[in-house]
Parts: sequence; structure tokens; C-alpha cells
Amino acid sequence: MTAPVVVEGLTKVFYDEARGEVRAVDGVTFSCHAGEIFGLLGANGAGKTTTLRMIATVLAPTAGRAAVMGHDVTREAEAARRCLGFYSATTALYPRLTARETLEFFARINGVEASRIAARVEALVERFGLGEYADTRVDKLSSGMKQKVSVARTVAHDPPVLVFDEPTVGLDVLNALEMQKVIAEFRAEGKAIIFSTHIMSEAERLCDRIAIIHRGTIHACDTLQRLREATGKRYLEDIFVHYVAPAAPAG
Amino acid sequence: MRAGPPFLASVWVLLRTEVRAALREKTIVVNSIVVPIVLYPFLFWGMFTGMSFVMGRTEGFVSRVVVVGEAPPQLRRMLEVEPKVELRRGPASLEAAVAAVRAGELDAVLELGPPPGGLEVAGDVAARVTADDAKERSKVARQRLERLLQRHRDEVLRQAAAARGVTAEAWQVFSIRGRNAASSREMGQFILGLLLPMLFVIMVAVGCYYPAVDATAGERERNTWETTMTLAVPRLAVVVAKYFYVALFGCVAGILNVAAMTASMGAILAPLVKGTGEELEFAVPLGAIPVLAVGALLLALFVAAGMMIFAAFARTFKEGQSMITPFYMLVLLPVMFLQVPGLEFTLPLALIPVVNVTMMVREAVSGVYHWLPMAVTVAVSALTIAGCLRLAVAILAFEDVVTGSYSGSLGGFVKERVLRRRSAAAAEVGR
Repeated sequence: MTAPVVVEGLTKVFYDEARGEVRAVDGVTFSCHAGEIFGLLGANGAGKTTTLRMIATVLAPTAGRAAVMGHDVTREAEAARRCLGFYSATTALYPRLTARETLEFFARINGVEASRIAARVEALVERFGLGEYADTRVDKLSSGMKQKVSVARTVAHDPPVLVFDEPTVGLDVLNALEMQKVIAEFRAEGKAIIFSTHIMSEAERLCDRIAIIHRGTIHACDTLQRLREATGKRYLEDIFVHYVAPAAPAG
Repeated sequence: MRAGPPFLASVWVLLRTEVRAALREKTIVVNSIVVPIVLYPFLFWGMFTGMSFVMGRTEGFVSRVVVVGEAPPQLRRMLEVEPKVELRRGPASLEAAVAAVRAGELDAVLELGPPPGGLEVAGDVAARVTADDAKERSKVARQRLERLLQRHRDEVLRQAAAARGVTAEAWQVFSIRGRNAASSREMGQFILGLLLPMLFVIMVAVGCYYPAVDATAGERERNTWETTMTLAVPRLAVVVAKYFYVALFGCVAGILNVAAMTASMGAILAPLVKGTGEELEFAVPLGAIPVLAVGALLLALFVAAGMMIFAAFARTFKEGQSMITPFYMLVLLPVMFLQVPGLEFTLPLALIPVVNVTMMVREAVSGVYHWLPMAVTVAVSALTIAGCLRLAVAILAFEDVVTGSYSGSLGGFVKERVLRRRSAAAAEVGR
């Protein structure tokens, strides 16, 4: 059976006035299975976000292909988007809507049947403990509550694929742990999850498989155990340095 | 897999959400709803009340007048009993009196001399009034003296006619009387036609202004642009919904302004009209309402498209405002020249965007309908709107513009991406 997310030779080239042609992502290949958290581990500027943006159809690949639930992200972008939830620091909430309106909107626009929307919203409000703040405008919520609403809106249409781009950036320790717990719950529900981070401990704790990405290229991709065996290193930090050190620093 | 909502349903959901959010934004509500209803009626009320106050103050002045020469007894009596005229002892010479008028020490000089001759009529006199029209009270003094001299002339003629056994009317041989064929309603419509179109265009532009920035640069500044880009709807649906949102607020602002101005014009102009004997009735003809609605729609669709093209390049609200402002001025400039009362809605005018809609609205408000220029206006507006949308789609095909990583403006974009590409293509052909 085809994996929910398949990425083959994905490449993105930007033109930059100062630097000329920049290969932000260069031939990235991997897949992510149902009930799996696939970690994309890399330093800042390694190409994690660009890769995830291409999977989320925000950017078009220069070469290669990616498919979400069998839908090509270029040719069937709309269908691909319907099958995934994308969460990142740059996907903020609409500040003037209430939490409830936000969930209603995302459920409706992402294709939840009209008759099921109210029940779905109530279920999300219940699950993420939003009850007390459900009718408060998003811009009036605390950052912890905003984070909960953000995760809730990501799964409002119950997509089989979730993409989390550095979801714990800017969160305090407790909120970061809460986020990790929620992501682990989604895995238990059988969702295919792609998770990018530059925090080694997070990747160690959460990811079933880890891809080490540097300067747009994947240098290694396997389970943590196999990466340990392959490198003879115990800690992910050392494993990361092992693969990345021979290459020049990230851009 | 679930099917997504159909295209129009997606547009509707997006539009509804945009409007709901916008109605919670103070700046947008104030500029697109409150200002059209309140600002111009209030401004005009203030302006006209101020004008009538100044006029009242001017009317209250007593004019300081010097008479040079010998006045017939009847005229002197009239001058002496006129409460708004104060006869002063003048300087020694006429030149000195005129200099005093210039200096503001006197308001007018009445120069009297022997009549040009011919008729032996008691009270006949040659008169010249010197005033400084650059000074309001001097100008008022001249008008008062002219009215007084006219009264004296009428009296002299009446007496001369009586001495000859004829009536004063017969003695005048013929008289001229003017009559306004326009009804008070038509006069009201004429005044509305002069004032409303300009305000209408301004309000449609103001109504579109903040939503256009909000829907583009505002989304980027709030980091919600990428959120919107990941919605499971066609990108075109997002663009169409945003476009309709901007146009809707422009259209509503224009219509609200026309309604508010029409409803309040009678009260606003009352201080000026009072005492003139004129009766003005301000009402937009029923037939003009569909024309106004079409005009508001066409104008809003054009202005919304233009503003969104400019704002598409902005990454912050401030950038958006500064990028839109030149287009805003461009829209308003031609309208300033259309305040000439006699201007007719001709075919050449119907070919100029914005001007054509303004003229169409102006004529409709005055109860005049020129169907051919109106049809041309609709066609030209539709073509212009289609052109703007085509340009918007072409611009949004560039990923860096959509994602906000392009760091130039519309001008830079055209130079870099359109003109350079064309010159490269031309060079290729020349090889």
C-alpha cells in the first residue's frame, strides 16, 4: 500500500538578487506512513521549512514530486490540502474570529459535511479544553490557548496527514511538552505525521524515523536505533554532527 | 476522500468570514460605514453653517461711506435714514477718499456729479461707487449703495412719469423679469448632482482602501497569509472572495454616503437657502436608484481590483497604505475636474474609467439619462475591471509575490518581470 506521504527527488531553487540561484532543497526523498512520526532534523536554513511548504502546497517544487494520500501536490493541490493539516509558526490564527468561529470555519472550508460541523467543533472544544474561551476572540487569548486553538484548527477536518513545522518554537517548557503529548496522541490515532525540528531531544523523544537534512539534502534517514548502529554514537546530537560535520555550514 | 465545497460555496464561506472579521475591526467600520454616513453630511453642515454665520456677520456691519459731490435732496435723505449706511465726512479729495477705501478706513466712496444731460428730471444724477472688492465689507457696502441708488432711480422715474401723465411701467418702455422653469425638486436634484458624484467616488475609494490593505498586506502582517494558502479550496476562490470583500465595502460606503447626503442635504443647506425665497427639495429620483447601484458596483469593482493589485506587493499594513495611495489619488483626480455645472455626458467622456461612472451618477441624480453613454460606460468599466483582474491573476502566478518574499512594488515588478522579459524576448527574436 502506498504511504500517505511520498516525496521523491523534491527540489526547490530560488533566485536571490544577492546570492543568485539558491538550491534550498535538493533531491529530497522520503515517505511517511500512517501511525508514524517522521522527523526532519536540521539546523536553521537546512531546508526543512521549504520541504514542508512544498508538501503543504504553499510552494511549488522546481523538480521532483510529492504526493499526499496519492494526490500530487502540484497537479492536485486542492485535494492534497484537503488530506493534510499544516501547522507552523507562520500559520497564525485569524485574530478577529473567536475560537469557536475559527474551528467552524476550518471545518467547513476544508470539507467537513455541514451536518457534522457543530458536533466536530464541540468535540474539538472538549478535547483541547477550550470550553471557557470558545467564544473569546483569538487575539484576546493567551499564547498557550492560541496554541491549543491552532492545533485544533489543524485537525478540524480530521486529516490523515499532519505536518508540524517546528511546532514548539517560542513555547515554554510546559506548553512544548503539551504539544509533544498531543502529537503523540495523533500518532496513536493512526495519522501520518511529519515533524520538523532542530531540537535533538524532541526528535529523540517523538520520532519513529528521523531524516537528517543539511543544505537541502537528506544525509541520513532511519530509526534512531539504526542511526546509532550506523554511526556508533549514542546521542542524536553526536549522530547529527557525524553526518553534518563533513559538509559546510548551513546557509 | 471527502469532496470540498463547490467553488462558489467556498467563495461564500471565505467572503462571509472576511466580512465578519472586518466588521470587528474599528478602522474598517469607521472608514467604510461610519464616515460615509456621518462625515460628509457633518462636514457640509459645518461648512454651510460657518458660511451663513460669516454672511450674517457681514450683513450686520454698518458701511462707512463718503459722498463726494452734491447729492439731490431725496437721495441724501435716503442715505441718511439707511440704518446700514453711515455717512462720514470725507477726506479733502477723491483720491484721498479712494486711498482710505484701499486702506480699509472707509468702505465705499459715492461720487456724484451732474447728469449726462438731456432730460430735465428732478433728482437726476450721475453716480459712481468705488469700493475695494477684495474686502468683503467694502464689497457689501458697494452692493448696498447700488441697491439704494436703484431705489432712488425708481422713485425719480416714477415722479417723472407722473408729471407726464403716464405710469412708471410705461415710462420704462419695457421691463425684464426672469422666471425659473425648474421646480424646487429639480433644483434640488441639480445641486445634488453637483455635489454627490464627487463624494460618491471619494467614499467608494475610502470604503475599498482599508479592506484592500487588510485583505493583502494585513494578512501578511498578521501571519495568516500562509494559513489561508493551506485551505483546501482553489487559490482562485481565495482571491475572488478577497476581491468581493473589498468591492462590497466600497459599494456599501458609496451607497450609504449617497443616502446620507440625500437625507441630510435639506437640513444642511437650510441656513444658506433661508431668506433667498428659494425652496429646494432634495430627493434622488426613483429611476436613479438602479443607476446608482450599478455605478457603485462598477466603481467598487474597479477600485477594489486596482487597489488589490497595488497592495498585493505589500508585506505590512503601512507598506500597503503607501502603495495604494498613488492609485487612490489617481482615482480621485479626474473627479475634481468634473464639478463644472455645464459639463455634458458625451461619448468621449464615457470612454474614461471613473469619469464615466461619475458622469452617469451625476446625470441620474439630476434625473437625466443618456442611454448610449451609459451603455458605453458599463462596457468600458467591465473591460477595465476584466483587465485589472487579468493583471492580478498574472501577478499572483508569481510564487514570491504570493508568499510575500518579493521585496519590490508594482512598478519594480513590471520593470523586472514584464519589461525585462519583453526586451529579452525581443533580443531573442533579433538574433
